[in-house]
Amino acid sequence: MLESPSHGDDDGLLRLISAGNEAAFLEFYNRHQGSVYRFALQMSGKAEIAEEVTQDVFVAVTKNAKYDRTRGSVLAFLYGISRNLVLRCLEREKPYLTVLDDPDGEYAGGMADEHDLLGELTQNQRIGRLRKAVLALPPVYREVVVLCDLHEIDYAEAAVALGCAIGTIRSRLHRARALLMEKMRAGERCGV
Amino acid sequence: MKGSEQEFLKDLRVLAEDGAGGAPAAVRERLLIEFRRRSAHRRVVARARTAGIAAIAAALLVAWVSGDARHFLTGPHVPAPVVAEATDADFYPLPEAEGLPPIENATVIRVQMPVASLQLMGLAVNEDGAADPVQADILLGQDGLARGVRLVQ
Repeated sequence: MLESPSHGDDDGLLRLISAGNEAAFLEFYNRHQGSVYRFALQMSGKAEIAEEVTQDVFVAVTKNAKYDRTRGSVLAFLYGISRNLVLRCLEREKPYLTVLDDPDGEYAGGMADEHDLLGELTQNQRIGRLRKAVLALPPVYREVVVLCDLHEIDYAEAAVALGCAIGTIRSRLHRARALLMEKMRAGERCGV
Repeated sequence: MKGSEQEFLKDLRVLAEDGAGGAPAAVRERLLIEFRRRSAHRRVVARARTAGIAAIAAALLVAWVSGDARHFLTGPHVPAPVVAEATDADFYPLPEAEGLPPIENATVIRVQMPVASLQLMGLAVNEDGAADPVQADILLGQDGLARGVRLVQ
């Protein structure tokens, strides 16, 4: 009888996936693709990289990636794979990468209240500047901001995903926020 | 910065929504195709492995029965079906043979089996040709247990 993946925990789903259960794979994908895609998009600023990374992460899960529950949650495990793949993509595209102003709107942020046009413009400008500032951070700082501030995962999970100590996460996050604030202030001064 | 740190944190919350729609449906479709392809391939490899194990088992059975029958009919001086002239250094050692006693009288039997069976023996195999047949020599010890494998082709 085909084992039903519904209500299965991640461990159970991974076991079913390794046995070739398509329904389990779909449930696992639906459960986690959003986090993986958002992480890759926010780390790279490019939708193509985010798509490629999302695809490669789930191929790795079905192919050969071994999850060890004693080392953290499945999500931390997925972030860890995603992070390595994003860094590889960024390294590969290094000569070509530029931080864009999102001309096609494919990497769009949230919209402000439509009744407050001026406020909306101001906020959108600020968000745009912040987005650029995050993307301009060195990867070691960018990844902690994305995981801890944007994805709101706790320090322990971030430490598992990034393969470092919790203290390192804490200090990098502190430094990253300081860098971001500094960049935002500099942007304000220049009226950018 | 005009705004306070609170504003900065609020902006981070907005930024967190980037990509909230998740990956495009095309990614899911591509992954499903890949998953189905891998599942089908896995089934072929599993079948090939089973066939390989059956082939080895059959060959071992034939070797054992014929050796035993000869021994029974004509006495103990009749040689085994194929006596090894090679040393065990020519063979890849099988992982299962690690704890077995050293070989004193070796026998080699030639079998045909799927490439995938070599994976069971700890050899690296290209999965694309996993179902292809391959000829191999199996090195048996005096106890009739396999110690190593050597590719003929």
